[in-house]
Amino acid sequence: MSSRSRRPLTPWMFLAPYGVAVLLLIALPALLNLGYAFTDHTGLTRDPRFTGLANLRRLVADDFFLDSLEASLFHVAVSVPLRLLAAVGLGLLLAAPRPGGRWFRVAVYLPTVIPDVALAVLFLWVLNPLYGPLNQLLGLVGHPGYTWLAEPTTARVGVVLMLLFPIGEGFLVVLAARRLLDGRLYEAAALEGCGPFGQLRRLTLPLLAPVLVLLAVRDTILTLQVNFVPAYVLTDGRPANATQYLPVYIFDHAFEFSGFAYGALLTIVLMVISAAVITVQLLAVRRWRVLR
Amino acid sequence: MSAHPGAIRLETLTKAYGSVTALHDVDLEVRAGELLTLVGPSGSGKSTILRLVAGLDRPDSGRILVDGTDVAQVPPHRRAVAMVFQDYALYPHLTVRGNLLFGLRVRRVPRAEADRRARAAAERLGIADLLDRYPDQMSGGQRQRVALARALVREPTVYLLDEPLASLDAQLRFATRADLLAVHRDLGTTMVHVTHDQAEAMTLGDRLAVLDAGRVRQVGPPQQVYDEPADLVVAGFLGSPPMNLVPGGGVLGEAPGLTLGVRPEDLALDPDGPIEATVEAVEALGSEAILLTRCPDGTRLAVRTGPRHGLRAGAGLRLRPDPHRLHRFDTETGQRRRRAEGVDE
Repeated sequence: MSSRSRRPLTPWMFLAPYGVAVLLLIALPALLNLGYAFTDHTGLTRDPRFTGLANLRRLVADDFFLDSLEASLFHVAVSVPLRLLAAVGLGLLLAAPRPGGRWFRVAVYLPTVIPDVALAVLFLWVLNPLYGPLNQLLGLVGHPGYTWLAEPTTARVGVVLMLLFPIGEGFLVVLAARRLLDGRLYEAAALEGCGPFGQLRRLTLPLLAPVLVLLAVRDTILTLQVNFVPAYVLTDGRPANATQYLPVYIFDHAFEFSGFAYGALLTIVLMVISAAVITVQLLAVRRWRVLR
Repeated sequence: MSAHPGAIRLETLTKAYGSVTALHDVDLEVRAGELLTLVGPSGSGKSTILRLVAGLDRPDSGRILVDGTDVAQVPPHRRAVAMVFQDYALYPHLTVRGNLLFGLRVRRVPRAEADRRARAAAERLGIADLLDRYPDQMSGGQRQRVALARALVREPTVYLLDEPLASLDAQLRFATRADLLAVHRDLGTTMVHVTHDQAEAMTLGDRLAVLDAGRVRQVGPPQQVYDEPADLVVAGFLGSPPMNLVPGGGVLGEAPGLTLGVRPEDLALDPDGPIEATVEAVEALGSEAILLTRCPDGTRLAVRTGPRHGLRAGAGLRLRPDPHRLHRFDTETGQRRRRAEGVDE
């Protein structure tokens, strides 16, 4: 009897450390965050007062928020497809064993282990209009180059470019998933006259679809948040607020301008937007029967 | 040259994978409409032959002629050849219908025609009610039929079957063997079938080709190959348990320079028999029994006998080999010696 009554406890005990951490470090702050969003809490005073929907009214009238939202959505719309394309393209290209393949795989993964700030500092150099290698490359084909971080559009492109490099995780997932596919499926397809592109379209992509959907959802969540570091180091939200992405805007409000309350509300908005974008993705997945 | 298409001729075919030579100078002829079984131990080159004929690999040297034409430069999908893979290689993300239509879509066969062919193939193999299922929703036997149907829709002149029954359980294998024969009879097309299974090799093919270490050892009707193995390798491979082979003749009668062989079923229990032996183990198989015996000089002989003989390990007995069923092989070359060249009987 005693062993039977003890058994159901064991899994919970194993879960406990993680569960406690999730509760203390995520669930509780999230709840507090939800509460703060409807107060005037500044993070400095001890007595936040309930202000009802005042923050919400402020948000609706906030033009800077709309700019920030636009910057974030632009970034997701450009960055997620490109990052996926890079991760999937390189993953499929480098999955087959070939001489030197190991070094190429290391090269693709390497930027992922470089700290964000270091990579951003590196990109300050890459994007430098006077001596940066990117403009020099453009110069080789006769292009005068850009003042990358000084123009709104090119500054956004610069951030996208930088975030095209830390794709190691998606790359690894695609690499592993592709290597699990049965080689005989490809032989069977070759016997049917399916060339490399036919095999990509009819076999590889459909078979990897669950992995690709997962990566797209994950990268959307990630991309809405990770542009904080490049925006902070490269542009500090400038020029003309073109890179004032939502995480940057949240940080500025929470820690530099008006305190926690408004920042808390913006955080909830960011979460709702993430959920909305993912919902749209999953609806598209179902609509187009990407998954079987 | 036959009027039917589908005759295959392999001429001095050699293929190596890295440092491993899979095929050595293989000459083999498959007649149009014939079901030829390639049999041999793992790594003997059976599947390599299929892959070369299908066009999945290129030979290092030698020629592959299909209906008299060298197909070396013909890409796989232009050869009128369909292959059924071991474990079937069905596309897991497609339904049975999708699997059957795959090749037709790639080749842009008009929709109506493609549907007709897929349905005809499905009906022939009794899987018409499974068209909307996915491979992981079917049993092994059903998947095997889908794989075969996928080959059928190509309407090829040659079918290559790579261990098509290996993943089925014993009962299903028996039933599917009959189905496969029926399909071959109906279609009348050439089939080359690879197996390492003795029973399949004996029952399925019109002819049998025994391979070992990348060489064709013997080709002929199954019974003939069984009765008159061309060399020691074939003698040792076909039959379960395999032929008893005694270098120098030993208990089967002195024969210097030769190896004598006798199949377990050609050794009779006989109180007056010339061979004395002790039973080491008894394998009762229900319908028969295999006695594993050892002679005083250490020679081991397997004996196939009826069940319920009451013998146990340790019992002594005497054996009489059937003199007409003694096989003689040159110990040096391994080649079979005809009776006329042999030593006294």
